[in-house]
Amino acid sequence: MRYAEPQTVEEGLSLLATTAGARCLAGGASLVSKMNAGQVAPGMLVSLHRIPELATTTETAEGLWLGAMSTHRTVAAEARLCGAMSVVRHAAGQLAHPAIRNMATLGGSVCLADPQTELPVALVAASARVEVAGASGRRTVPVESLLVGAFQTSLAPGELVTRVLIPRGVDGAVGHHLRYSRVVADYPTVSVSLVLAMDRDTCRYARVVLGSCGPVPLHVDAADARLVGTRLEPGAVAAAGRLLADSSAPLDDVRGSAEYRRMLIPRLLGRALSQARERAHV
Amino acid sequence: MSDKVSVSLNVNGKTHALSVAPERTLLDVLREELRATGTRRGCDAGDCGACTVLVEGLPVLSCLSLPARLSGRAITTVEGLETGGELHPVQRALVQHGAVQCGFCMSGIVLAAKALLDHNPAPTVEEVRHALGSNVCRCSGYARVVEAIASVGGRP
Ligand SMILES: Cc1cc2nc3c(=O)[nH]c(=O)nc-3n(C[C@H](O)[C@H](O)[C@H](O)COP(=O)(O)OP(=O)(O)OC[C@H]3O[C@@H](n4cnc5c(N)ncnc54)[C@H](O)[C@@H]3O)c2cc1C
Ligand code: FES
Ligand code: FES
Repeated sequence: MRYAEPQTVEEGLSLLATTAGARCLAGGASLVSKMNAGQVAPGMLVSLHRIPELATTTETAEGLWLGAMSTHRTVAAEARLCGAMSVVRHAAGQLAHPAIRNMATLGGSVCLADPQTELPVALVAASARVEVAGASGRRTVPVESLLVGAFQTSLAPGELVTRVLIPRGVDGAVGHHLRYSRVVADYPTVSVSLVLAMDRDTCRYARVVLGSCGPVPLHVDAADARLVGTRLEPGAVAAAGRLLADSSAPLDDVRGSAEYRRMLIPRLLGRALSQARERAHV
Repeated sequence: MSDKVSVSLNVNGKTHALSVAPERTLLDVLREELRATGTRRGCDAGDCGACTVLVEGLPVLSCLSLPARLSGRAITTVEGLETGGELHPVQRALVQHGAVQCGFCMSGIVLAAKALLDHNPAPTVEEVRHALGSNVCRCSGYARVVEAIASVGGRP
């Protein structure tokens, strides 16, 4: 195995191009675990930790650009992620446990595309966009079009993620994340990320996304539409929950059967909405 | 065949110049090269916390860390906590509360607890539980462990 520590994105890209099967190393939490288990043996590791650009946060009129190498801990502490954007801060502060949050990164989470992880879910709720650098320059894509399957992204070989834009989103909205796990710090059985805006008691905007309910974060336009214009009364929440549950293809594993996960969906949605609503009124 | 990478590891205030294969983890290097066996190997997957060390004061899992990335950064292992032959207050509290059983998980727990208390000198029991989310005790004696750590911060 070869190992390199480039200092710029461009240098990183040319290193990735030298070896078939070269891999970026971000926090290493998942990659090193798979290497330890003998599941992957990259010919080359290109560590991203000496590239200052990737650890930079920039605020613009559109929102906040978070560098791919921002750790979950940094994201959780980013006070500028407020309003609708706070869904990302919330998810980063709750997922896994402190030791993982100190190591693992935003870019690593997006590129791993693990259906059980929570930042991809929060990023879809926040309508985030991802900047990708490759041999032919840079492009920005909606996070949904990067996440194409379980552990699958649309990144071409040799491309890397440089940063993620969290748009400011709807005025007066709040972001919220709720994870349900067997014990604190375990991967969630189901997670819910949402952005909610209320006009007094009436829902003006809702964007609800579920994790661990299919190969990619589950977002159903019709479920959002079912909530908007209602007072989020039990009937409306149950109807939206049904729409989500019907579109879901949950995992069947030690953390819960697929059937159990489908039953959890409407309940967690109701809980997440009422928690978000409380926060919307503070 | 792997290329070797030169690293300068700063462990408990001492610098070690080493040449290691890039895929060898910090846990391997601590135990096998530096013979600092207080850091335990449990799962090698990030699930048990036995291998926890502090990097610049924050808990990380040494089984998932590559030394090449840690050149020059301050690493603290359980061997670095004792000062002048005195146990760290967390270690003393664990002994006093009878919280140590086989002790396999203890190095990791002691370091996670030290990091918590350094950042939050009087944590609530709930905060202690969250900080120990990364640490599994296979003897499953969690109650006394949590009580002991909370007591260091002045909470019963
Ligand atoms: C024990 C454990 C428990 C966890 N629990 C949870 C949990 O409860 N909830 C949760 O949401 N997540 C959880 N995670 C996942 C964690 O949050 C991270 O998402 C994950 O570890 C990846 O982040 P990383 O920075 O460590 O990436 P790495 O492991 O370094 O990389 C992951 C993959 O992404 C690629 N990659 C990384 N960065 C880039 C980039 N910028 N461009 C291109 N490719 C890149 C790598 O080549 C690799 O294939 C857990 C992980 C572990 C190990
Ligand atoms: S050995 Fe590192 S977490 Fe288990
Ligand atoms: S005391 Fe035995 S593993 Fe914790």
